[in-house]
Formats: sequence, structure tokens, C-alpha cells
Amino acid sequence: MNDRSLASRARTMAHVAVHMVFYDKLKLAGTLLGVVFAVVLSNQQAGTFLGLIYKNVMFAKNCSADLWVLPPGAETFGPGRVLSMADAMQAKATPGVAWAEPLLVVASQVKLPAGGSEPITVVGVKPPYEAGGPWNLVSTKASVLARPDTMIFEDGDRENLGGLNVGSVREVGGRNITVGGFTWGLIPFGPSYAFADFDVARELSKTPQDRASFVVIKVTEPAKITDVKADLAARLPESVVVTRDEFQRLTIRNLLFKTAIGITFGTSTVFGLIVGFVIVSLSMFSSVVDNIREFGTLKAIGATNIDLMLLLLVQATIFGVIGSVIGLAIVSQMAKGIRSAKLAMSLPPELTFGTAALMVVLCIAASSLALLRLRKVEPAMVFR
Amino acid sequence: MTDLDQINPLPSGPDGRSWAIDVRDVRKVYGSGATAYEALRGVDVQIEPGEFVMLSGPSGSGKTTLLSIFGCVLSATSGSVHLLGKDISKASESDLARMRRSLIGFVFQMHNLIASLTAVENVALPLKLRGIPRAQAMADAQAMLERVGLGDKLQSVPRDLSGGQRQRVSIARALAGAPPLILADEPTAALDAQNGLSITQLLKSLAKTTKRTVVVVTHDNRIFHLADRIIHIEDGLIQKDAS
Repeated sequence: MNDRSLASRARTMAHVAVHMVFYDKLKLAGTLLGVVFAVVLSNQQAGTFLGLIYKNVMFAKNCSADLWVLPPGAETFGPGRVLSMADAMQAKATPGVAWAEPLLVVASQVKLPAGGSEPITVVGVKPPYEAGGPWNLVSTKASVLARPDTMIFEDGDRENLGGLNVGSVREVGGRNITVGGFTWGLIPFGPSYAFADFDVARELSKTPQDRASFVVIKVTEPAKITDVKADLAARLPESVVVTRDEFQRLTIRNLLFKTAIGITFGTSTVFGLIVGFVIVSLSMFSSVVDNIREFGTLKAIGATNIDLMLLLLVQATIFGVIGSVIGLAIVSQMAKGIRSAKLAMSLPPELTFGTAALMVVLCIAASSLALLRLRKVEPAMVFR
Repeated sequence: MTDLDQINPLPSGPDGRSWAIDVRDVRKVYGSGATAYEALRGVDVQIEPGEFVMLSGPSGSGKTTLLSIFGCVLSATSGSVHLLGKDISKASESDLARMRRSLIGFVFQMHNLIASLTAVENVALPLKLRGIPRAQAMADAQAMLERVGLGDKLQSVPRDLSGGQRQRVSIARALAGAPPLILADEPTAALDAQNGLSITQLLKSLAKTTKRTVVVVTHDNRIFHLADRIIHIEDGLIQKDAS
């Protein structure tokens, strides 16, 4: 058999596959519905999960620090464990360090005008409020934190906190605080961030003067981060020194394996893919059964099992590609629709293209059930 | 000379003669043990190139089984089967597929056209499977459809054609690419008397002008007079073989 014949047969099978797919529009719609459902569900779940992950690593991601000093056992950015303020001093004195500043992260409550209170996470920052200070600022500057008892709150939480405006005064941790401005989108998986001067945060939480939550460090030469990190680790044996990326990975690992979030979203994502797989698998199988006489005819006129496998492969790819394109279009519109300061789906190209590729692979795998049936088709059936 | 007029030279059979089909002592058993059923019980048939032969017999007589063996879609349980000089008794599945692709044209009782393809695409399908370039295959298919009187139905899908027209497309598909052997299974069964006769006349006329060997399975006695030879089978044995 020459190459031309093989190529011609492959093209012929692809041609027949395309016609078969688009001929039975009801079955096409049913199969595509399954693929679209799988793509939408898996992307929506994975996108929301990535959005949550982003919210939990956004501090490490947006802070300009190259290195972080963490209290032993700390794996995420949040209130709780503390370290000695001496770590910040040691860090400042370490060769290769451009700057090192302590951060104090404490849990607090905002008393609402109508009664009750809402939790916030107060981030105490040292002047000039750049190292670990607020970002995504809305009509304000970080320097307002230098004003007495002033804090910057999260825009997405304004209503929750009793309709905050710039200049509003709220009781935070038993102390009257003036609203100095707002950030946008700084809501982690928990209470929103509110920024304060380091001393204000310390007094709110009654944290001892020699304690801080983290130390953020900028090195003078990015190429020497590893060396500076090793030096710092040796100088601060009771704390943990990590790079920005390592801190993000630590947080993600914590989220995945020490909370129910990972398993919940992971299960939903896998469930979506399984549903798609099952629907495509059954659709293609029933398509083979429905068209069994046509497949028998193809065999009778000389098509081989490999030819028919190629036909199914093309059909599966068509289902996977069209379903993925429709599904991703729906998901992107959903992401736009639900985007807010509190919830943002993260749909990086790795996820969308990855899901589409996975869906095509799943569709191809799903066609194997049909192929098993097809292999058993005897060409002699056409005479029965 | 067109493609249809070019017959492959036939090699000699085991007895030195050139047979299009040469089967000897062929048996076919379906199933095994207590449920085994012997559909063919030692059949000998030799068909010359260019003959227009009809296989007749009651339902369950074994005629379709014999046609399936001729068509390389079914293997005999025992006996020798030579098709156009080639021993296919022990041929592999891929060899049989290649034989079907290049040497045999089929006409089925229910036409068996691909529902999603147009008439011209259906006729071009076996040509393309043989490796004929698309443009050439489509041109040949179009010419073939014109010869069966369906030049104006090239782009029609099977559901838009009448039963007779579908069978004409099926005949065009079987004859396209000039396979030396045409096998037809009850081609008139789903047609009325008028259409059945005209379809068989068409098949014979095209086969004769292009010197194809044709075997038609039928129990339609209204078309027997068109045969060069009628082989009557009953209970898996040839009862009568008359020209």
C-alpha cells in the first residue's frame, strides 16, 4: 500500500467523519452539550479556585519584597503567629539587604453604626508604607496612614462595614478610626484587608512592642537572592526565610492540603470532566450503534479498522474542539459577569487552553468505547 | 477507452483455466457444538470472467453466505476459494480489505449508502479509498452517475432520492473505478416490479459493456431471464446450475 493511498484514505475518513457529525444535528447538539457542560463546570470551578488562590497569595505577589521572614509554622499571610522584632533588625544588618521592614497582621472588628460588628484583617505597616503597604488604591495615597488613627479599608467591603466613605469614623478594636481611603479587590479568603500604621495596628491588638508578624526584605541585587536568603537563614535560626515564590507555593500547598477548599474544588472540577467524558463516550457509542450499517458498509467496501479508528478520532476531535470553544466562550462571559472585588475567577491561558486540550484528549479517549464496538462490526453484516 | 473498459488481466486458476470465481468443496458452519449450523455443505462453483450469474434459492438456502464468501467479507470454514486467480482461503483481514477495496463492487439490498454524503460523494467513496485523487474520483463518480441516469442528482443526499434512485446510486458506486467483480445482494427486493427490472437491466448493460463479472443473489423470478446462468441453491448445496 503506498503513501498516497494511505493519505487518501485518511482524508476520505476525515471527510466522512465531518459529514456524519454534522448530519445528525440532534446527536451533535447532545454531545456538544455534554462537552460544553464539562468545560464550563471544570473551568468555572478551577477558575474560582485559582481566583481564591490568587486572593490568598496576592499579598506575597504584590509586595515588592524578595524575601519573607515567617514565624515558625506560619504558611499563609494572616494573623496569628509572631516573631521577634529583632529579626527585622538582623535583616537590616545583613549584607545585600536594601531594606527590611516588619509587618503586623492582626484580626480586629469594625463596630457598625446599626449595631453589631464585622471582622477585618488589619495590616500594620511602617512608614513610608511602601514595604508591604496597600496597593490598588482608589483616590488616595498610602501616606494618609501617617495621619493619626487613620486606616485604608477595602472598597468591596464598604457596605458591609456600614457604608464607609472617606472621612467616616468607625470604632475598630475599641478605638475611633478615620477612613483615609480605599483599596480595590483586596479581599482574601476571609475578612478584607485594612491597612494601618504599624503602631496603630500594634495598639489595636495590644501586641508587645518587640513582636511582628512578618519581615519583608528587598535585596540590593536580585541575582543574589539565594545567597542573601542563606545568610539570613543562618542569622535567624528560629524563624523561616523564604523567597516570594516559595511563600506563594507554601500558601497554595496549605490551601490545597490543609483546608477543604482544594478537595472541594478539585472534586467539582474532576466531576465536570468525568461528566463530559461519560456523555461524549455514550454519545459516540450510540452514534456507532445507530450507524452500525454504515460502518459495516465502509468495512465492506474496503475500509480497515484503522480507517474507522481515524474516523472516530476525527469525530472526537470535532466534539472536543467545538465544545471547548463554546464552553470557554460561556465561561469567559461568566467570569466577566461575576467579577467583583469579592469574587474574581482567574482564567489564565494555561487553564483555558489546558482544559480545551484535556477535553479533546478525553473525547478521543471516550471514543475508545465506540471503537471497541466498531472493531466487532463484521463487513458480512451488510448482507443480512 | 475509459477506466471501466480496463479489466485486470486474470491469472490462471488451479486447473489452468482463468476463472473469475473458483470455489471448491466450500463449507461454512455458523456457531459450534449443539447449536452449530451448516449453511454451505460442500459447494463447487466456477464463474467465468464477464458472466452475469444469478444465485437463487429459498431463504436460508445459503446463497447470501456464498455471496459473502465471494465478497471476501466472510471466510469459508473449509474448502478452497480463488477469486480472480488469488487464493483467499488463508488471506489476512487486511489482505481481504484490500481485495474488497480494489477488486469488488457491492450492490446491497437496502442500497447501504452513507446517509450524510451526497450521491456523488457516495459513488466517489470507494474510489478515494483506493487512493484515487479526490478531483479524479469526483469526476469519475459524476460520469458514473450520469451513466445510470442520475446526472441531475449529484448533490442529493439519499433521503432525497426514491428507492430506485438510491439503488442506481448503489450500482454506480459498485461500478465506479471498474472493479472486475460486481456482487449484488437482492438488488430488486426493495423495489417494485418495474423498477426492479430496470435496475437489473441497467446493471447487466453496464456490466456487459465493461466486461465485468456479476453475481446477483435473488429470488425474484421476474429477472431470471436476464441471467447468463442461474445457480439454484437449497440446503447449502447446489441443486441446479443452468445457462
